[in-house]
Amino acid sequence: MQRRPFLLGCGCLAFAAAAGVRADDYDYQVPPRFARPEAGTDEGGLWAYMDREEQRLKRSSFLIRDPALHGYVNGIACRLAGEHCPEMRVYLVRTPYFNASMAPNGMMQVWSGLLVRMQNEAQLAAVLGHEIGHYLQRDSVERLRDAKSRSSFGLIVGLALGAVGGGSVGSLAQMGILAGGLAYGRDQERVADKIGIALMARNGYAPAEAGRVWGQLLEEAEGAKAAGEDVSSTNILFASHPPAEERREVLAAAAKRDWPGAARTGADEYRAALAPHRMGFLYDEVRRRRFGESLVLFDRLLKSSPRDGQVQYFKGEAYRQRGREGDTRLALEAYRAALEMDSTPPEVHRSLGTVLRQAGENAEATRAFQRYLELKPGAEDAELIRSYLTGSQS
Amino acid sequence: MRLKPWLAAAALCALAGCAQIVKVEPGQVTIKETLKLTTTSAWNRFELQFPLSVAPGASEVWTQDGITLDALAFFVGVAQGQTLGSALPGVSKKLPPFRGTMTPGEIVELYEQLVTQDGSAFALKRVAPGRFGGQPGFRFEHTITRKSDNVLLKGVAQGAVVKDKLYLVAFTAPSIYYYDRHLPQVEPLMASAEIRAP
Repeated sequence: MQRRPFLLGCGCLAFAAAAGVRADDYDYQVPPRFARPEAGTDEGGLWAYMDREEQRLKRSSFLIRDPALHGYVNGIACRLAGEHCPEMRVYLVRTPYFNASMAPNGMMQVWSGLLVRMQNEAQLAAVLGHEIGHYLQRDSVERLRDAKSRSSFGLIVGLALGAVGGGSVGSLAQMGILAGGLAYGRDQERVADKIGIALMARNGYAPAEAGRVWGQLLEEAEGAKAAGEDVSSTNILFASHPPAEERREVLAAAAKRDWPGAARTGADEYRAALAPHRMGFLYDEVRRRRFGESLVLFDRLLKSSPRDGQVQYFKGEAYRQRGREGDTRLALEAYRAALEMDSTPPEVHRSLGTVLRQAGENAEATRAFQRYLELKPGAEDAELIRSYLTGSQS
Repeated sequence: MRLKPWLAAAALCALAGCAQIVKVEPGQVTIKETLKLTTTSAWNRFELQFPLSVAPGASEVWTQDGITLDALAFFVGVAQGQTLGSALPGVSKKLPPFRGTMTPGEIVELYEQLVTQDGSAFALKRVAPGRFGGQPGFRFEHTITRKSDNVLLKGVAQGAVVKDKLYLVAFTAPSIYYYDRHLPQVEPLMASAEIRAP
């Protein structure tokens, strides 16, 4: 296998002399700490640009500012990055797409669409480890240089940081541009995958979870295809090379190597950390209207946690909002099943009432609406629901 | 530097008069021959040949101080199977269709889908029954965190479904200053609505 040299011609980097570090195998040695490049160099210019973007990100309304969740994700990233931890700042961004990125100045973004998709801490560690791998290899410096030379630097960076607010990412087409414009090289991805799995396993995480991340994304893509949805524009990681199938297989094979003491998945810790935000993340997920993907995601989450009333409720929401032939029945089944589960949100009664009312099942609809008002008397739609009960509104 | 295609298109559009502003005089106005309103103040009717992210595909959009500072959007006679408004260019997400049996809660969802196409965040504050256009209808209040500049907008909308068609008037403006400044003109205008459903 070809060895990938560290970035050439960049004397500003403190680790440039670290020749002989093997970046392309699983015994990856983390390079020494990086120093901030001189302001006069081109990398210094990139850093200054990134610093400005980071200032914007800090002010963004889309930033998730909960210290508990931030501390949790930051802690994982920090352990993976080891001595590079002080160079890194983690930002959680509420954007319902699967993405994490790390800029050359150490600004790491993790989007809520990624958080809601991971089954456990080990899977999150696999993705963060991969991004840290790109950082340690200085891949994004090279990539941004390339973008700059293609005179689309501002556009590319704007899109890359679109979750912040400036770029209006959120549009799937733009996500497509993002993927095309920002795709790392084939070998860069392969190396980052190896570094990622090495970092996670050295920190005690079960390495088999790394391949599963890709397996899950592939399943969602299958779900989207089966539902007649366009897959290519939805998931930016699918535009990456090597293809997802290869990455899943290579990572699964790598997990079979001897990784002493690497067995932890941290499913319970992960679930607990996400719990306060999960309603919002799941709500955003359904609002994407990528029902084929979302339903596969919900079924996966329900498989690992069969009494999860939150996910079951949103499964019903996906069917109701999709509104295809037969979806009303599926939505009703999902809501009714959610009633028997744990931590089901009160909104299930409202949705149930709405669907039943439209189906002409007025008595049962009334009971559902009454239950909703009992549980959420001060709801933002309480007046409206009350009007259904009193018949003051048809 | 090479001119970006979208910039060229916008420049061409400006020269060709794609964006036209027409004064709406105080008095009676009828939109699409079915929604009759009385306005006590003058407005600017904004006419664009491409959808505006504040209310893409609205029948008409009016403003006092400029479209990013306050926007009054009219959606008149949205029929069964049609979408409320239209998709923004480059957005592949499909907007959900309107159905005559939709509850006000579901109509709020249609509106949310419309105004969050650019990645903005929507939060419903209150939805209640209320008459609109002389018909039983609904009213909702909400906020939108605009993706492009992080500005928090406040909004109020009133609507009704008459003969399976949706009529909706929605006003949005930054929560700082502009919302409160224009609301006194917007409320009586919404209250004056008359629907003459064909």
